[in-house]
Amino acid sequence: GGSVKTGKMPEGEKTEQRQKEEEREGLIEFYSSYQELFQFFCSNTTIHGAIRLVCSKKNKMKTAFWSVLFFLTFGLMYWQFGILYREYFSYPVNLNLNLNSDRLTFPAVTLCTLNPYRYSAIRKKLDELDQITHQTLLDLYDYNMSLARSDWSTLSVQKRSSRSLLHHVQRHPLRRQKRDNLVNLPENSPSVDKNDWKIGFVLCSENNKDCFHQAYSSGVDAVREWYSFHYINILAQMPDAKALDESDFENFIYACRFNEATCDKANYTHFHHPLYGNCYTFNDNSSSLWTSSLPGINNGLSLVVRTEQNDFIPLLSTVTGARVMVHDQNEPAFMDDGGFNVRPGIETSISMRKEMTVRLGGSYSDCTEDGSDVPVQNLYSSRYTEQVCIRSCFQLNMVERCGCAYYFYPLPAGAEYCDYTKHVAWGYCYYKLLAEFKADVLGCFHKCRKPCKMTQYQLSAGYSRWPSAVSEDWVFYMLSQQNKYNITSKRNGVAKVNIFFEEWNYKTNGESPAFTVVTLLSQLGNQWSLWFGSSVLSVMELAELILDFVAITFILALRWFRSRQKLSPPGPPANSHDNTAFQDEVPGLSAPHRFTVEAVVTTLPSYNSLEPRGLSRDGEVGHK
Amino acid sequence: AAAAPGKKITARIKRTLPVRGPQAPTLSELMRWYCLNTNTHGCRRIVVSRGRLRRFLWILLTLGAVGLILWQCAELLVNYYSASVSVTVQFQKLPFPAVTICNINPYKYSSMKDYLSELDKETKKALETFYGFSEGKSKVRRSVDEWNSTGSDFFEQIPLLKFEDFSKTATDLRSGQKRKIEGNVFHKDSSIVNSGDSNDIIGFQLCDANNSSECAIYTFSSGVNAIQEWYKLHYMNIMAQIPLETKEKLSYSADDLLLTCFFDGLSCDKRHFTRFHHPLHGNCYTFNSGENGTILSTSTGGSEYGLQVVLYIGEADYNPFLVTSTGAKIIVHDQNEYPFIEDIGTEIETAAATSIGMHFTRSRKLSKPYSDCTETGADIPVENLYNKSYSLQICLHSCFQKAMVDSCGCAQYAQPLPAGAEYCNYKKNPNWMYCYYRLHEKFVKEQLGCQQICKDACSFKEWALTTSIAQWPSTVSEDWMLRVLSWDKGQKINKKLNKTDLANLMVFYKDLNERFISENPANTLVILLSNFGGQLGLWMSCSVVCVIEIVEVFFIDSLSIVMRRQWQKAKKWWNNRKRDRAGKAPQAGDLERQGHDNPVCIDEDLPTFNTALRLPLPQDSPLPRTPPPNYSTLRLEAAFTEQLPDTLEVGQR
Repeated sequence: GGSVKTGKMPEGEKTEQRQKEEEREGLIEFYSSYQELFQFFCSNTTIHGAIRLVCSKKNKMKTAFWSVLFFLTFGLMYWQFGILYREYFSYPVNLNLNLNSDRLTFPAVTLCTLNPYRYSAIRKKLDELDQITHQTLLDLYDYNMSLARSDWSTLSVQKRSSRSLLHHVQRHPLRRQKRDNLVNLPENSPSVDKNDWKIGFVLCSENNKDCFHQAYSSGVDAVREWYSFHYINILAQMPDAKALDESDFENFIYACRFNEATCDKANYTHFHHPLYGNCYTFNDNSSSLWTSSLPGINNGLSLVVRTEQNDFIPLLSTVTGARVMVHDQNEPAFMDDGGFNVRPGIETSISMRKEMTVRLGGSYSDCTEDGSDVPVQNLYSSRYTEQVCIRSCFQLNMVERCGCAYYFYPLPAGAEYCDYTKHVAWGYCYYKLLAEFKADVLGCFHKCRKPCKMTQYQLSAGYSRWPSAVSEDWVFYMLSQQNKYNITSKRNGVAKVNIFFEEWNYKTNGESPAFTVVTLLSQLGNQWSLWFGSSVLSVMELAELILDFVAITFILALRWFRSRQKLSPPGPPANSHDNTAFQDEVPGLSAPHRFTVEAVVTTLPSYNSLEPRGLSRDGEVGHK
Repeated sequence: AAAAPGKKITARIKRTLPVRGPQAPTLSELMRWYCLNTNTHGCRRIVVSRGRLRRFLWILLTLGAVGLILWQCAELLVNYYSASVSVTVQFQKLPFPAVTICNINPYKYSSMKDYLSELDKETKKALETFYGFSEGKSKVRRSVDEWNSTGSDFFEQIPLLKFEDFSKTATDLRSGQKRKIEGNVFHKDSSIVNSGDSNDIIGFQLCDANNSSECAIYTFSSGVNAIQEWYKLHYMNIMAQIPLETKEKLSYSADDLLLTCFFDGLSCDKRHFTRFHHPLHGNCYTFNSGENGTILSTSTGGSEYGLQVVLYIGEADYNPFLVTSTGAKIIVHDQNEYPFIEDIGTEIETAAATSIGMHFTRSRKLSKPYSDCTETGADIPVENLYNKSYSLQICLHSCFQKAMVDSCGCAQYAQPLPAGAEYCNYKKNPNWMYCYYRLHEKFVKEQLGCQQICKDACSFKEWALTTSIAQWPSTVSEDWMLRVLSWDKGQKINKKLNKTDLANLMVFYKDLNERFISENPANTLVILLSNFGGQLGLWMSCSVVCVIEIVEVFFIDSLSIVMRRQWQKAKKWWNNRKRDRAGKAPQAGDLERQGHDNPVCIDEDLPTFNTALRLPLPQDSPLPRTPPPNYSTLRLEAAFTEQLPDTLEVGQR
C-alpha cells in the first residue's frame, strides 16, 4: 500500500490542474477509441453480471460460467416479468367493505295513485273505446259489462269528430284464434273447448302485406293490452292530456309526517304517469333533503293515503291501493321496475337498508362514470342510470324505425308521439321492435353499461291492520272531518305507509385496484435486484454505452473518410473501427494497467483512473 | 484510585473505537468520495462522466431516480392501510337467532282503566267538542261549558291549539279563547302540506315553565296525528309513575300471547320464551334467548323446521288512542343484542299467515387503523345502559339518555333508566317535556356530540328477512281451527275466537348458508418492506445499507464538516481579536486550537489523523522530510486498509 501512496503523491497538484481543465471541459467528450470506451464502461458500470461476463476476459472458464449464469438469470427474470405483466393487465381488484355511518340522506319516495285519470273526467274521450270494448266482451265472452251511459247522447257528436277512431280500432280487432293454425274463426263460437284458443289482436304493416298476431293465453291480459294500446293512441291524440289530470294532492295524501314533524309543502314534486296516475315524489328537490338522525319507524316517513277506487278507469286500473317506490334523488321513478304496492286497510311498514356499490371504472370493469361515454342520448332530464339508458335507447330506436315516439317514454327532439291517425302501422312496428329489443337485437342491453356508482335500497315490509277495530271509529271520523274522506268506504279507503331506515349505517361495497403501477414497479424492481442487482440507472448506462458506441463509430468513420480523401491510396483501414461488434476490441482490454497510465498521460481525470486500478488490484489480491 | 479504572476503560474505548470526523476536508471532496465509493447507481457516473452535458444529464437522472423513489414509496405508505374483503359461504348447522315477539298494544286496555280513565275521558271529550265525534250514537253532545266546569288537568298541562294566520294566533280548542303565539318559536313548519279547506292546523305548544317566552310549537297536518301525539305525551307521564312489577302484571302474559308453538318440528311452550319488558310495547317474549345457556339450532332450512307460532292479539282489548293498528311485532336478533323493537320491528298482520325467511350474514371489519370501529365498545366514553353487547344504536340511545338526565333531571321513558335517575313525569319535573323536545332537537341536529362519540361495532350479524303473507285460516278450515284454538286457550275465554284476533307466524332459515364477510389487511409489513426494496432497487439499486450511507454522508459527515469549518473560523476570529487586543499570545491560541475542549464540537471533532495533520500544519511545524499527505491518497489508503490512519495517528503523536 505504501508504494501506491507515494506513487500518487503528485495527485494534489493534479487535482488543481484538473479543476482548471474542467473549466475547459467540453460539452460532451467522446472517447477516442472503442477500447477506451469499453475500458471505461467495464470499470464503471454497475450491472453485476455484465462486469464478470464482459470484463473478465482473461479467464475463458470464468467467462463461460458467467455467460451461462447471465443468460440463465436473464431468462428467469423475463419469465418473472411476464408473470407480473400478465397479472397487472388482468386488472385485479380488491373488494372493500365500508360501513359508513354519516347522516343518512333519506331517499326520494314516490307514491302513485294507480289510476291515471279520474274516470269521470276522461269518460268522454274513452267513451267510444269503451263501447267497442263492451261490444267485444259481449261477443267474445258473452259478458255484458255495465257501463254507465250517462252521456250517451253526446256520443253521436263525438262520433262524427273522431270517426277515425272506430276505423282504427277496427283495424286491430280483438279476436280469438286457433292455437295451431292462425285462422280467424267466426267470433260468436264460445262453445269450443277453451284450451284450444288463444286471444289476441292482429297487427299489420302499412300496406297490410305482413300481419302477425299479438296473442295472449289469458283473455284478461289480452283485453288489458288491447285496451291500453288504444288508450295510448287516444292519449297521444289529445294535445291537452296534461290538463285532464288534476294534481289532487290533498285528496290523495291525508297525512304526512317525517321525523316526527309535519311534511313541508316544498318537499314534494308531482308528475303524471299515463298508467300509474298522479305520482308524488317526496324529498326530491336537492335544496333541502331530509336526513334521518336515527333508524326506526319514528324517524322515517309516515303517510296516510287514500285508496278509494270509485273513480278508477275500469278496464285499465285493475289494481287498487297505492304504489310506492324508493329511489335515489335525481333518478326517475320507474314505477314498473321497483314499486311496492300498498294494500288498503293495512299499515305497511317498509324498512330500508341502503347499500352502495362503487366500481372502479376504466380498464377495471365495464362501467360508466356519468354516462357521457355511452353512445345513447339520455332523454330523461335525470342522472344516468342503466334503466334510463335502456329506455332512451328503445325510444330512439322507435323514432328511427317507426317514425314516432312511444307514449310512455320521453319525447326526443323533433319527434311526436305515435297515434294511428298519423302513423297507421305503428303498433305493428312497435311490437316487432319490442321483440327485437327483448332479444337484444337492438343492442340496447349491450350499449347501456352499468353506472360505476349505484345506490340500492333493500326493502322489506311488515303489515298490520290499520286502523284497529277499537280505534277505527274516531280515526275515520277525524279523516272525514278534515279531509272530506268518504266514511262509507271505511277500511278499503285508506292505507298507511311507513318508510324508514333499518340501520343507521350503510354498506359501501367498493373496489380498489389490487395491483397498481406502484406495486408493479416494486415487483419489477424486486426481480431486477434479485437477479441482476441492476437498476434503471444501469440501463441508462447501457444506453449511454450504445449511444457512445454509435457516436464513436460515426466519428471514426468520418475521420477515416477524411484521411482517405487526403491520402488517395489509403492503406487498409484500422481493423478496429469497421467492426460493429466489439470482439476485436476486447483483446485490448487485457491490459488495463497500461491503459490507465496512458490515461494519466492524456490528462484524463487522473483521479478516476486511479480508482479502478486500486479496485482491480484489490480484487486480485482477494483472489490470491 | 476509584476513578482510575473508569478512566482506563474510557481510554481503552477511545483507543480501540476512535470517534473521528469525516476524512474529507471539504464538502465537495466528501461528495466526490461518496460518489466514487457508494453502491448506489448513478452517483458514480456523475463524477466519472466526461463532458459537462453528460454530467448534467447524469445529475438529472440520479435526482429523477431519487424523486421517483420518494414518490413511489410515499404512495406505498399511503396505501398501506388498505383492506381487502373475503366472502366465505359455508354450509353448516346454524344457531337459531333470538326472536322477540310483542303485541303492538302494550297493556290490556281493560286492566289499564284505573290509570287511564281520566285521560281517556278527556280525550273523548276533546274529540267530541273539537270534531263532533261521539262514540255512542245515542249520546248527547255535551256542551263546552259543562266540560269546563269539570276541570281537566291534562288540557291545563298542554292545551291543543288551532293555528291561524300562519301560526301567529291560535285558538285554544277547549276554552275557545284566542291567544297570541308569542315568544321564541324554534320549531314550526311554515307551509303545511295538508292545510286544505278547513285550514285546520292543530298542534300544541310546549313552554319553558321558568321562562314562558320560550316555546316550542308542534303542529300536525292531521288531527289524527295531533290527538295521538298529545295522548302519548300524557300516557308516558302516567306510565312513568307506575312501578315495573305492576306494569308487567298489567301487560300480556305468555299464556295470553302464545296459543301454539312449534320449533324444528317439535312442540314448544312458554318455557322456551323469556319475558322482556319493553317500555313502549309492554311484555315481549323472546324465543331462544339463550338465558338458560343453550342456544337452539336448526339442521334444515325451510318453514317446516323453523319457529311456528300462533299469536293471540285480542283486538278488543286495544287502547284506541295509543295504537291505531292491530297486529304483533317481531324482531330477529342475536342473543346478545338488544331488540330495538319499536324502531325496527316487523309488523305481523292478523288473520294472516306471515312467513319470514331469514338469510344469515356475519360481517367483520378490521378495527383501527383500518377503520374507525370498536370491538367491544369499551373504548367509548358512553356508559352502556342496556345490559347487552355494544351496538351503535345502544350507544346513541345511552348517550341521549345521559344528556337527558344531565340537563332535564329525569330520564326519558322509552329508554332504560341510568343508575340513580328516575323517569320523567310532570308532577316532579314540570318542565321535562319542553326540555326533552329541546334536547331531541339538538340531538337530531348533532349538537349533543353523540354521533361523534359513538362508533360502529366491528363485527355484526344480520338476518335479512323476506316476508310473505297468505290468508289464514282459509275459509274451509276456519271453523274447526278456531274451535280447536278456543279449546286450547282454555277457560279464560268463553266465547269463540275471532280470526282477526289471531296471527300465524313462521320464522325459518331460507337456507343454511352462512355468508361471512371479513376484511383482511391487504398489505403486511413484509409486503411493504419488499415493495420498498423493489422501488429502491428498481431505480437506483439502493438498499437499506445505502440509505444509512446516505444519512451518514449527507447528514452526519456534511454537518460535521460544516461545523468544523465554522469552528475553525470562529477560532480564527477569536484569535485575531485576541491578538488585536493583546498584541500577542499566539501560543495560547495554538493551545486552544489543539485543545478541542470546546463543548460544541467535542463529540465529532476529536483529534483524528486528519485534524491532527491539518490543524497545526502551515506555520508551526515545517515538517522537514515527509510532505503532508494529500487527501486523495489518504482516501485510497482508507480504501485499502482500515488501520493505517490509526497507526499513523499514533505514530504522529
